[in-house]
Amino acid sequence: MAALPKRIIKETERLAKEPVPGISAVPHEDNLRYFDVSIHGPQTSPYEGRDGTVKHTHVHLSNVHVGGIFKLELFLPDDYPMTPPKIRFLTKIYHPNIDKLGRICLDVLKSNWSPALQIRTILLSIQALLGAPNPDDPLAPDVAKRWKEDQEGAIATAKEWTRTHAMT
Amino acid sequence: MGAKVPRNFRLLEELEKGEKGLGAEACSYGLTEGDDLLMSNWNGTILGPPHSVHENRIYSLTMHCGAEYPDKPPTIKFQNQINLPCVNPKNGVVDPSKLPCLSDWKYSNTMETILIELRRYMAHPNHKKLPQPAEGSTY
Repeated sequence: MAALPKRIIKETERLAKEPVPGISAVPHEDNLRYFDVSIHGPQTSPYEGRDGTVKHTHVHLSNVHVGGIFKLELFLPDDYPMTPPKIRFLTKIYHPNIDKLGRICLDVLKSNWSPALQIRTILLSIQALLGAPNPDDPLAPDVAKRWKEDQEGAIATAKEWTRTHAMT
Repeated sequence: MGAKVPRNFRLLEELEKGEKGLGAEACSYGLTEGDDLLMSNWNGTILGPPHSVHENRIYSLTMHCGAEYPDKPPTIKFQNQINLPCVNPKNGVVDPSKLPCLSDWKYSNTMETILIELRRYMAHPNHKKLPQPAEGSTY
């Protein structure tokens, strides 16, 4: 296999040394361009995996997360960073911008990609997308429609899916 | 040699190509279940090649991509009955040793490669006149 570009080595080292809170990305031993990713559902979002009506007053300990944890996979293609990483959810999730196969609709993964962005910034954008679903730019039209017509019901389903699929 | 595309991203590429219909006109393919996160089970169709006994027939197939795809080829099974040397007459399973794109499987081969090769195999001078089961019969 071709040598791994310095840019990718540096990004990988920094992800390990200075991890982003609530996010981890670990490369596969046999393919250093292929990462196992996990993202904690953001607090006060339907993906947090706790009853949102409870006010959180305790200190959050990053190594004892009891809420929703979403698994994703990420691949850096040959022409990265000229083209964006490929990324998808492996955990089922009810979200207007994520489809049934875990594919994500996010501008920075498509037209707004810039080589100045990195794995860490993309993962932060995805975590932010969990906190701010955008039903006006949907990838899952049925979820987006419900989000607009019955937001409370949609959020309840998102919470239920989080408990069922992201907390095992 | 470039970066090795992992199984799931490779299957997503194939899915997008199949959905856009950029593939060969006479073959099509897609996921059996649209929410199968493992993307293991696929359906394919082959439009029978012209100037053969298969002309105007539509053949449905199932394709199973295991955990080692595309290092290893998928298993292919005809749903519609067909009389071809590479197909088991009892259950419709394609014998990988009798179809070159499966026996000499390469990482760069795709499900589309297989469907196109099967269609060519059906049109082969030795196969295009083989007597066929009644149209629409299934295994």
